[in-house]
Amino acid sequence: MPYHTFECSECIPERAMHAVIKGPGEDLTSCLPLGYLNTIPGTISERGCAYCGAKHVIGAPMKDVIHVSHGPVGCTYDTWHTKRYISDNDNFQLKYTFATDMKEKHVVFGAEKMLKQNIIDCFKAFPHIKRMTIYQTCASALIGDDIAAVAKKVMAEMPDVDIFVCNAPGFGGPSQSGGHHKINIAWIDQKVGTYEPEIKSKYVINYVGDYNIQGDAEIMVDYFQRMGIQVLSTFTGNGSYDDLRGMHLAHLNVLECARSAEYICNELRKRYGTPRLDIDGYGFEPLSASLMKVAMFFGLEKEAQAIIDEETARWRPELNWYAKRLKGKKICLWPGGSKLWHWAHVIEEEMGVKVVSVYSKFGHQGDFEKGVARCSEGALAIDDPNELEGLEAMEMLQPDCVLTGVRPGEVSKKMRIPYLNIHGYHNGPYKGYEGWVRLARDLYNAIYSPIHQLSGMDISKDEIPTDKGFLTRQMISDVNIVDDRTTPSEERPYTGDWDIVTRLRGKTYPKLESQQLGTA
Amino acid sequence: MDDVMKDRIEQLVDFIMKWCLWQFHSRSWDRERQNEGILTKTMQLLCDEPVDLSTPSDRCYWVDAVYLANGFKKTYPWLGTMEKKDIKLLMQGLKDRIDYLTINGSLNQELTNPLY
Repeated sequence: MPYHTFECSECIPERAMHAVIKGPGEDLTSCLPLGYLNTIPGTISERGCAYCGAKHVIGAPMKDVIHVSHGPVGCTYDTWHTKRYISDNDNFQLKYTFATDMKEKHVVFGAEKMLKQNIIDCFKAFPHIKRMTIYQTCASALIGDDIAAVAKKVMAEMPDVDIFVCNAPGFGGPSQSGGHHKINIAWIDQKVGTYEPEIKSKYVINYVGDYNIQGDAEIMVDYFQRMGIQVLSTFTGNGSYDDLRGMHLAHLNVLECARSAEYICNELRKRYGTPRLDIDGYGFEPLSASLMKVAMFFGLEKEAQAIIDEETARWRPELNWYAKRLKGKKICLWPGGSKLWHWAHVIEEEMGVKVVSVYSKFGHQGDFEKGVARCSEGALAIDDPNELEGLEAMEMLQPDCVLTGVRPGEVSKKMRIPYLNIHGYHNGPYKGYEGWVRLARDLYNAIYSPIHQLSGMDISKDEIPTDKGFLTRQMISDVNIVDDRTTPSEERPYTGDWDIVTRLRGKTYPKLESQQLGTA
Repeated sequence: MDDVMKDRIEQLVDFIMKWCLWQFHSRSWDRERQNEGILTKTMQLLCDEPVDLSTPSDRCYWVDAVYLANGFKKTYPWLGTMEKKDIKLLMQGLKDRIDYLTINGSLNQELTNPLY
């Protein structure tokens, strides 16, 4: 059997089926870890809660909204601004976060009056914002505050405002994934179909399951708009509240991160007949295929091919420069969510980096099916790992870099294994052609940083040589590139700008009203 | 089914598992629909048969099928040497295998959950 038992977890036999190593000939009928189950007592999880999944991951990237947590102030602090989901409206959603600051007296006597006053105060403090989302927390859920009724009263008193209520308290699921589900369904039940945005094209999509980390969604929207496609809404990175109320008018839902947002796509399919197309936005080949698939749905193949050719010609030589230097390096791909399967295969194909382990903190077995299917033989897959398992995996696998979030990343740094932040990113966006090169650059910089030459020294006792400088790039990363003549002259390190997103804003795009839907 | 056919089916399975996502919708009924819709249209494209594009769902299946048919032809030159009746047998075997891996033999315990 492919199940892997960590030595540190031998005393927790319930962990026996939460990790697998893909052996020769193994497939999904024999090699799949358990997933999305309650965390086992005795182990420590890296998971977030359902409230965090609803607010922090899905809802809060909406840009023109006052996001209120109805609960203690600590809840909202822990879901505030750590994901770098930027917006093109001066980052209102990053600058401000709001909590009703429940205390013991509110738990005893109720907090509905306070909530109502807070809502009114918020709208008065920010008179240009007319939309609000309110998130229940454990405290307000346990005492049964009727947030929806309060919101209804305020909307009756203030007809120019609109409020969305999300009942996803922290205990509402085994992990943040439970919150993803709840907010998806709440949004389609409460808000979709209540607003009719302007339809400007014959080709209209919702871009779903991207949260605009450092501009990821804006990169993709640029490609779609260059094809002449109207992106009606982005769920929810850089998304507008009212555009998201009009999701029912799109012709196609283009889905990026399935497990965080497939619920709303499935419901749109059921209620409005809108089909769902799952895509990969990372890596040259998968991204090219994805753009072409969306284009084919509308008959815009020529427009897509022009973008693919232009972007590939511009960025492939720079990707190749890094790929040559990254070839054979080993990484642990521990992203938490969808990058588990978005990157499991293509990072190996296009950068030569071997993925020796994948994990997810909150992934369902469906997420692991995709990851395990795409990983090479020998890869270790772990569901909901605890810190000791992470340490043991790093000792066993000896990766050159761990791609993960801040918390496990700091643990890997203590083991002198560099890490790359792929939650909030180091220097993203990583989506799109240029973004993929930026990921290769960040991976290269992480693995070959000269700081590793010093990080293992103890300056209180080790003798530090003073007659030597740092090793140079040619001495550490280029040492295995034997013959320089094999490197085409156009290959070079990254030459893009520091900020590649701001310039997209205000760009003009072709109008295609006169075009007809394509045929097979 | 002979060994050559089995080997070829596994090669096609490998391509789908590495480069596609449509086979992993979250529930059995959805996977059945996806596998049927996309693999049927892929077979029709490979056999030069007409493809129904009358609904938005059909168009959606079709774009994945075009990607698959092109990818198969580019990656596996032996496909070009096969007769259409054999391609149909191959694609039926592929569908059976994908159904087994993603539905009937899958270890995913959520597939039969009535809720999303």
